[in-house]
This record gives sequence, C-alpha cells and structure tokens, in this order.
Amino acid sequence: MVIIAIPSMGKGGLNDLLSPRFGRCPSFTFVELDNNEITAVKTVPNHATSAMGGAGVQATQIIGNNNAEVAIVGFLGPNAANGLKALNIKLFHAPDKQITVKEVLDLFNEGKLEEMSSSNVASHYGMGGGRGSGGFNNP
Amino acid sequence: MSKRKPHIICITGGKGGTGKTLCAVNIAVMFKNEGYKVLLIDGDVENPNTYLLLNATLENKKEVLFFKPKIIEGKCSKCGICAQNCMSNAILHVKEAFPIPILTVCSGCQLCYKICPEKAIEADSKTIGWTYTTKIKGLSLMFGELKPSEARSVTIVDALLDKLEEIQKYNPETFEIIILDTAPGAHCDVELLIDVADIAIPITEPTKFGKLDLIRIMELITLLEKEFRVIVNRSSLLGFREQFLDELEEENIKILGDIPLDSDIVDSYCLGTPIMDENSIYNKEGAGYRAFTTIYENLKKWLEMI
Repeated sequence: MVIIAIPSMGKGGLNDLLSPRFGRCPSFTFVELDNNEITAVKTVPNHATSAMGGAGVQATQIIGNNNAEVAIVGFLGPNAANGLKALNIKLFHAPDKQITVKEVLDLFNEGKLEEMSSSNVASHYGMGGGRGSGGFNNP
Repeated sequence: MSKRKPHIICITGGKGGTGKTLCAVNIAVMFKNEGYKVLLIDGDVENPNTYLLLNATLENKKEVLFFKPKIIEGKCSKCGICAQNCMSNAILHVKEAFPIPILTVCSGCQLCYKICPEKAIEADSKTIGWTYTTKIKGLSLMFGELKPSEARSVTIVDALLDKLEEIQKYNPETFEIIILDTAPGAHCDVELLIDVADIAIPITEPTKFGKLDLIRIMELITLLEKEFRVIVNRSSLLGFREQFLDELEEENIKILGDIPLDSDIVDSYCLGTPIMDENSIYNKEGAGYRAFTTIYENLKKWLEMI
C-alpha cells in the first residue's frame, strides 16, 4: 500500500485536473493505492497558496502530514524539492499537458512517469507576475 | 574641520558600468590630496572591485556570519512551535518527526531559536561573505564580498555599515569624508547606503539606458529624502551631450558635472592609477582631468566647504 500526493487545480479528487504548480496549487489529492487499485481518495486544501514565501516548504509539510510516500508533480522549485527529499518522498514528473488526477495515476501505474531527483524550475516560478513567472497558463 | 561631523557622500546610479567606482575613487583621491581624512566604502558586495582601481590588495579579512538554526534532537519534543511561527516558512515539520530547517528560505530572524520551549534550537552560523579593510595611498578602504551562491547580499552591506557605525560612535574624528560606492540597481543594498549618506551622486551616461535607470535611482533617492546631483559620464558619447544635459535641465535635475570620453581615464582605469592621484602621470590639461577638477570644485561648493 502506498499513498500518492498529487497537486490539483480545484477542490481536488480523481476527476480534477493536476496542477502544474506544487507549492501554490489550490489543493492536494491523496490517493491510496493497493496493488495498483485505488483504495481511498482524500483531498486537502493547500493553505500555502498565498504564503509570502516558503510555500514549497509548507506544501511539503502537508504531503508529509498525510503520510504520502510518492508525489507526482509538474513544476517543482528548489525549496520544495529540498523538503521532499528530506522526507524521503519519491518524486515523479507529470506530463506537461492538461491531465486529470485519474489519468496521471494510470500513467503512474503503467510505469510511464519519469522519476525526478531534483527541482526543475527556480524559486517562485509559478507565482505569476513576478520574476520567473509564466511558463504555463492556468486552464 | 575635524570638529564637525564627517560628510557622507553616496556615489550611486541605477545602471551598471556608468562609472560609479571610477567617480568614487577619484573623488576620494581628490579629497585625500587636499589633506582630508577619507574613508572609501565599496558597497557593491557582489562585485567588489574598488580596490583594483587603487591597486590595493585584500587585507584584514573578516567573516560575515549568518544565523543557521540547528535542531538538537536530544532535546526536541517535536512540538512544531518553531515551524508554526516561522514567518519565512523555513522549517519543515511533519507530525511526530524532528523539524527540518530549509536554509534557502531562512531569513535569519532567529525567532525559532528564541521561542523553542525546549531550548532545542542552537544558534549555529554559516559564512555568507567577508569584509576587508585596507589602507592605500593615504586612503582608508573598506569593502564587503558576498560568497558566490549566497543570496543575502544586504547582510554584507549591513556588516559594513555596522563597522562604519562603530567608527562614528567611538572614533568620530577618524574621518572627515566618507564615500560610499554602491552596487548598480535600486534595491535594498543600495537603499541602505543612500540612507546613511548626507547626499547622493548618481552617475549616468547619455543613453536611453542611462536615462531610464537614472529616473529609477532618483525615485529611490527622493523617497529617502536626500539631496542629489548628477554626474554625466562619457558625456561626449555619440554627440548626445547637449541634448542629454538639456533634458536634465528641463526636468530640473541638478548636475555636478560631466565627464567626456577621455583616453587618460581609460588608461588610469586599466592601470589602477587614479587619474586624480597626487602624483598623476596624466595630462592635467586633458578633458578627463579638467572634468574631475570641476566636479570636485562643484562638490565642495555644494557641501559648503568653500
């Protein structure tokens, strides 16, 4: 059994879209998998969305407190990556396209997601407006 | 002269490469030539290079330390109070686990260290840069250097200003003229230096880049309620001098002087022998030398020293 954390766009859930942002995604969907079967789904709003700084660290805390061992992410900044690494959470990279939580889980189960070892964007990448903003558009 | 407070002059300018350090060094040298006790502070801690223009060497290296929380696991009760109260969200705390400081986010405020109910956080430190003090040709020089890859340059500027404050407090008569040379830009490193100065001298050049960045630095200087006068460097560039000076006049921007392109200045820059040195090997009738002489006279009038 393994719990997988997936940043999601709206209130979360299997049919919600995956959020390419990690630290400032609106919610996290936690999915419990047992032999590739979904045995439980839980959604948690991300209170770090509007943090002045350190959103990645706060979001990582949510992941850790919900006992996730795996996270599937789009863009991941260095602070979040450091935190997730410190918690020994395995990271997988979601495809750069609109995709639902369910669809990305299927890819994960099929072994089609690439494992990540570090961040893939700079700090504050997904903050919009400020430095380093705008690698993607929110759907 | 030594009975009064020293004049603190901040040489700044939004754009990089306009000649801030060139002007700071030569103005310092001109005051020194007249017997004033001069301190030159290089506040461009990401690229400290004032010492090169004076052919000085790095001396009296002192580390600048930055707070680093260290969790003592034997004392920690995993209560998470440190993480809950960290304004920077720099402590990762997952229930029933020891908190993990994420140093790249830490602002160094020490709150966690102060509020830990178990006294389980030790105030450890890391070196983020250095300060140096040295003397060259009768000038006192102080500069800071940020360790490459570290982000908090303002802490190094702060360390320089702490040193200055100490001198002002305990040995106020050590210096009569203090010249601060800032980094380019209009960020907090620059702001701190302008703020401690009496007057500011933005250096610009007659280009669109120069003008735009001059406007930005003027906004900052005005915000800090300091008087300023501009030096237009490379004023003969592409024949824009008259037009540029007219534009500044129309906007009521006061000028301390302008420096035309001059090969003596280029040579002095390359050789690390200031053109205004008392034993200057350069042509005293040259355009560069005369420009600096005029700037110096205007500066002294402005400071009501003559």
